[in-house]
Amino acid sequence: MAEFTLTAAPPLAGHDETFGDTRLHAPQDFAIVSVALPLGGETAAKKAIKTAYGVELPAPGKSVVAKGKERILRLAPDLAFVFFTHAGADAETIVADKLKDKAYLTDQTDVWTALELSGPMARAALERICPLDLYTDAFALNDGARTVMEHLGTIILRTDDDTYLLLSASSSADSFLHAIETSIKNVI
Amino acid sequence: MIIDHPLLGPRDAAEFVYLGDASLIDRPDWQAPDAMEKFHAYGYLRDNPAGEHQELWYHEQGDRSWLVVTRDTVTHTITKVELARDVARGKTKARGRGK
Repeated sequence: MAEFTLTAAPPLAGHDETFGDTRLHAPQDFAIVSVALPLGGETAAKKAIKTAYGVELPAPGKSVVAKGKERILRLAPDLAFVFFTHAGADAETIVADKLKDKAYLTDQTDVWTALELSGPMARAALERICPLDLYTDAFALNDGARTVMEHLGTIILRTDDDTYLLLSASSSADSFLHAIETSIKNVI
Repeated sequence: MIIDHPLLGPRDAAEFVYLGDASLIDRPDWQAPDAMEKFHAYGYLRDNPAGEHQELWYHEQGDRSWLVVTRDTVTHTITKVELARDVARGKTKARGRGK
């Protein structure tokens, strides 16, 4: 039997388009690893994160940027995501080397597709499809949340004043892109 | 309808899935002599109040937490939202078990 080697390819790789000053693009080599805190081992896991990244695990709904430019987003009391730039299919081992075995890790790089929306019309475009209150005080810098946009499960993260990182399922990447593009076109 | 999540703040009810009466947290002891009767009540018998009702909601399109929502079934007014794990741990403590 023939032997096949499957190489994962991000579905929206290289996507980059601008609408006036507003830009929608897929970040390159975007690695995602989820970190689940073991029941009863929460304190040890938090300590390991602090030692490995030099930052405290933030409160649910908040994110922090670590010294090595990794971003840690806590989505639930016992679940956080680590985002960092890395090419290759070994993102999980990089986090595993740092956290030892103090937390349960899952490589989610393939699972999500990332889009970064930035520019003056970013918030106006998102307001139409995001059920969360994105007013600058209500959704502050570095806030992150999991919600639904156009029926698609989405993680939204505010990384700068007018910059939002959006994550949705790889399997419906084109539909998600279409939803965001349509919303931008509706406001410009 | 808006559910004010204790950790994440107000969220649209569309992000949640409804399960039912919060008494489902109180699973009977399967070793008790009257376990058969208790499980029958647990599985099939529900109150149907016109008024305050405690129910389980799952934040599926959010942080995947289970919530105990106290809601008035007549007006849909939500008076209290708690994390189900806190409620369950409170009950375990009250029974003198657990940590």
